[in-house]
Amino acid sequence: MIEYLIFAVFAGLLLHGIHRKAIARIQGRPGPPVWQEILHALKFSFKETWIPATASETLFVAVVLIAIGVWSTALFVLLTDGSLLLLFAVYMLHKIVEHGLGLSSGSPYGKFGAIRSVMSAASEIPLFATIAAVYLVTGSLMISDIQAWQVAHGPLLFTALPAAIALYIVVLAKMHYSPFAVIESKEIVSGNVTEHFGVWRAALDAAFGLKTFVLLYAFILIFLGPMPLLLAAAVMVLLLLSLSFICALTPMLSPFDTVTIQIGVAGLIVVYVLLAGVIP
Amino acid sequence: MFDLPIEGAELLAVEFGDIVDYFSVYTAVLFAFALLFIGLVIISRPEKPVDIVFGGDAYYTKEIPPEQLRFQRFMAIACGLATLGAMVSGDLFNFTLFSSMIGITNIGIVAAVKNRHVLEAAYQYGIVAMVATVPLFGGAAIALAATGTLSIWELAGAGAVPLLAKMLLVVGVMGEGMAPFYIGKAEITRAPGAPYVLMIHVSSLLLFLRVVEIALTV
Repeated sequence: MIEYLIFAVFAGLLLHGIHRKAIARIQGRPGPPVWQEILHALKFSFKETWIPATASETLFVAVVLIAIGVWSTALFVLLTDGSLLLLFAVYMLHKIVEHGLGLSSGSPYGKFGAIRSVMSAASEIPLFATIAAVYLVTGSLMISDIQAWQVAHGPLLFTALPAAIALYIVVLAKMHYSPFAVIESKEIVSGNVTEHFGVWRAALDAAFGLKTFVLLYAFILIFLGPMPLLLAAAVMVLLLLSLSFICALTPMLSPFDTVTIQIGVAGLIVVYVLLAGVIP
Repeated sequence: MFDLPIEGAELLAVEFGDIVDYFSVYTAVLFAFALLFIGLVIISRPEKPVDIVFGGDAYYTKEIPPEQLRFQRFMAIACGLATLGAMVSGDLFNFTLFSSMIGITNIGIVAAVKNRHVLEAAYQYGIVAMVATVPLFGGAAIALAATGTLSIWELAGAGAVPLLAKMLLVVGVMGEGMAPFYIGKAEITRAPGAPYVLMIHVSSLLLFLRVVEIALTV
């Protein structure tokens, strides 16, 4: 398991690097090299580290460890073909990490980021609409059953396209520089991670790299079905590039607009679920 | 034991007469998360929030009085214990009771703060939580009327609980959990005491995750 974990962390950081590079090229800038995020994480690991005097010390450190724990669990669920419900429960627990990172430091910027994080909890509503749609179509929430269903009936992407779009928006909301990434908007410095530097930032970078890998891989497994590792890696990069295009060309939305759009998407999916699964 | 393709394998069942509390992989993870945060609430000291004075370079930090700290900590631990109960409850009525207790303790965590804006937010949230008990218990009552039992253990996989009852349960839980109301009432987060305020979010989120599992199971 540990070898998969290390691979996923570095693959996730590499994906972050590709994301930054693609955004820069689309915007006509040279951009950093694709391995820049890996170098960042390694550099932060050896920087001087301390805990701010205003912070709640235990919580300040604990949320970083929880971030790593949460996404390691998500990777484990994915690799063992566990429950989709559990995978997304773990995803939602990431909200606590975002909120805790901001609150624990005592910094007003962190607190603004934390409040925005709770406001953007609306991004989880499309997630449950997705789960409901997948359950209605496949009759199971176990990832192994969903994959078996796709082997027999073809990719869920075509059968339940609105649910795939909803999950795509959920993944987009969690990407760096996303129009929904209001918690790390530059007018509040680095938002909820403003005070986490040095080794804490390195650990967070690793956890967020893991998060990106897990979310992209989960999208592929749920909506495209099982595929060889190399093909999966190529599809992950293509999926990431499509997200990079949106991030590069769309300005950051205001916090209330992000909530409105995400609730709107969830509403459309609920209508789809009712029409497709409940009313007949 | 019931094994539905929803939440992973069942790990343990504890019987109290006809009430069967159970751990599945899913509820065990949620239970462990709540337990972790109870531990954090017990051992963490609160932060010292920094407030900026707008229009100048000045800033100041706020200290939390010891009596407020003690009350918030007590309420946060009570909230955590209620959350533990809601995570493993195998009975719809017990689940609604634990949900209501989470709502009450959430109000307690916020209402300890002697700040006009925070107290107003706590008062308004209190009204929401009180009103939310109607759909919450109404959902459980409709489930009982339609099926003759409140045991999730017996209802699992039968699909006998009406959709209306499930929807009322979800609405009730959204009212009892404070987190959704942050959207309208950010004043709540003016309350200092990060480990305790975070428990509000933890309990609301776990409660919501549990009711989704219940709605899919029964």
